[in-house]
Amino acid sequence: MNEQALVQIKNLSKTIGSKKIIKNLNLDLYKGQITGFLGPNGAGKTTTIRMMVGLMKPTEGDVLIDGQSVKHHFEESIEKVGVIVENPEMYKYMSGYKNLLHFSRMHKGISKKRINEVIEQVGMQNRINEKVGSYSLGMRQRLGLAQALLHKPKFLILDEPTNGLDPAGIWEFRLYLQKIARENGVAVFVSSHLLSEIELLCDRIAIIQNGELIDIKNVKELQQSRFYLKAEPLAQTEEILAGIGFPVSRHDGGLLVETEPEHIPGAIKILVNAEVSIFAIQPFQATLEDQFLELTGGGEIAQAHTK
Amino acid sequence: MLKLIQNEWMKLWSRKSSWIMIILLAVILFSSSAITKWVDNSMNTANTETWQQLEAAEMANNLILLENNSLGDVRREYLEGEVAIAEHRLENDVAPFDSNSMQQSVIDSHALMSLVTLFTVIVAGGIVAAEFSQGTIKMLLTRPVKRWKILSSKFITTMLYALLLAVVLFIVTAVAGLIFYGVSDGTYLVWNGSEVVEGSFWLEGLRLAALSFVNVLMISTFAFMLGTAFRSSSLAIGLSIFLLFTGVQAVFLLANYEIVKYYLFTHTDLTQYYTGFMLVDDITMTLSVIVLFVYFVIFMAISYVTFGKRDVTA
Ligand SMILES: Nc1ncnc2c1ncn2[C@@H]1O[C@H](COP(=O)(O)OP(=O)(O)OP(=O)(O)O)[C@@H](O)[C@H]1O
Ligand SMILES: [Mg+2]
Repeated sequence: MNEQALVQIKNLSKTIGSKKIIKNLNLDLYKGQITGFLGPNGAGKTTTIRMMVGLMKPTEGDVLIDGQSVKHHFEESIEKVGVIVENPEMYKYMSGYKNLLHFSRMHKGISKKRINEVIEQVGMQNRINEKVGSYSLGMRQRLGLAQALLHKPKFLILDEPTNGLDPAGIWEFRLYLQKIARENGVAVFVSSHLLSEIELLCDRIAIIQNGELIDIKNVKELQQSRFYLKAEPLAQTEEILAGIGFPVSRHDGGLLVETEPEHIPGAIKILVNAEVSIFAIQPFQATLEDQFLELTGGGEIAQAHTK
Repeated sequence: MLKLIQNEWMKLWSRKSSWIMIILLAVILFSSSAITKWVDNSMNTANTETWQQLEAAEMANNLILLENNSLGDVRREYLEGEVAIAEHRLENDVAPFDSNSMQQSVIDSHALMSLVTLFTVIVAGGIVAAEFSQGTIKMLLTRPVKRWKILSSKFITTMLYALLLAVVLFIVTAVAGLIFYGVSDGTYLVWNGSEVVEGSFWLEGLRLAALSFVNVLMISTFAFMLGTAFRSSSLAIGLSIFLLFTGVQAVFLLANYEIVKYYLFTHTDLTQYYTGFMLVDDITMTLSVIVLFVYFVIFMAISYVTFGKRDVTA
């Protein structure tokens, strides 16, 4: 990506009391790209997002949106952002429509027509005149998305947006986000616990743990094909494969080889010639989830799966 | 900014409590006039004296008070004016308003301004705090609008609501006076410092109401500050109402100390300069205005600083 980044998170840090919650976070986000923000509970996702939209002041660092600093040019930079932080809280004593009207007045030039358009996009036209207090969680989530999209933002930040949506809703939501990313060039930043969800939705994944950005990966890269190989003697096998240029790692008493399927027969030939006994070779289907657990040390997010 | 106020106004009226308070205010005012009328009717033995006898008695009483040398300036001037007016009435046979009349109700309408304070405090203490407790604050502050503008729109909306309540107070008092007491054929007289002239009871009523409104402004700004700083509407409303009722009492406790001159509640009732009932003798209108202004600026500064700097984690 040689294009200029739409959003630049620069050296972002937050200290509360004596605890450093976010540690020197650097991340660029690009037009038309959906970036997932993944991390176990308490990793600092919500805190990062809060600082990105000016709800919290960074202890250090800044966020630039389209070149403008959230710290110094709040109005100009936030104009380009649509956001949902955690659950979208609305005025329960007003109708969904009045809530949208309320938020639309805080932006420049949003017409009634635009409000109705967004209501239709999120499929809320039948219930929009009812009080928000009577909405289900999923309906509130849809209304939350509507308020984030009202002003056609260039940059959309969503903190666990699918929480409460039904499967059809999640599916629609995914297609919709991919559509606005592709067609309108919106940069999207989504935090989520549902790893499978992120895998399907995102182009790129940033992984955060204990307030530190530990990895940024393209989803395609993660889905690269790997093979599991069980052979004896293991050390010699590893040496040979590494020697001919395969990325190899140990896994479960065997080896993981990163390569495309067409290179496998050749590799087997070489190993057989070197008198290595091969017991098994099979495609290794690591889901993103496994890799995520691998990266973050696992365990901690266990409860997130059942959410 | 206009749109922000429009938003706050819409939210205010979407809550039932705002309607209930305004209706309650009208009902209380109406029924208090009705009860006064009923009480007077059932014991109409009291009104056997003529207005001349009443004026003469009051004048005599005021003259005795004036002999006291330790009287404060404002109080002295007021009593002298009252005596002059009474003399004028008796000499020229100009009757005052009946104490139960539409006109007198208008003049006295400010007396129930504390109801307006009470209801406004409920709005002022909750208008910021509720955004935090509902969690809507994060939706509000992630818009391209600076925080101070949002806070200003909330303050202005609170004051507009207070103003509306004050107008309701004034109108309902006048209407209830008209219905229950009727128009009295007396004349309103004022002492302008050198002579007795005819005055407008409407203007007098409005002037006193406007002066009482300063009290509404101060207490609700205080509640607004507490609600903003502590994000708890119950704390803000409770403490403000407590002070509304006890703040003035403390003036008497502090009366012998110098600090009483800089104490908020010594000054919140500006009608004291017109009705002569001074809480503390050696204060002036100018001092009161300065003290009130300083308190107001402090309340506002605390509100804006805490609201502007706060990390929102709601
Ligand atoms: N106001 C605060 N004071 C002290 N610590 C805080 C505060 N807010 C958050 N933290 C701490 O900061 C860390 C990051 O919290 P954050 O809410 O950003 O995590 P998260 O990644 O969004 O987690 P989750 O996946 O559960 O939503 C946590 O350890 C939390 O305890
Ligand atoms: Mg979170």
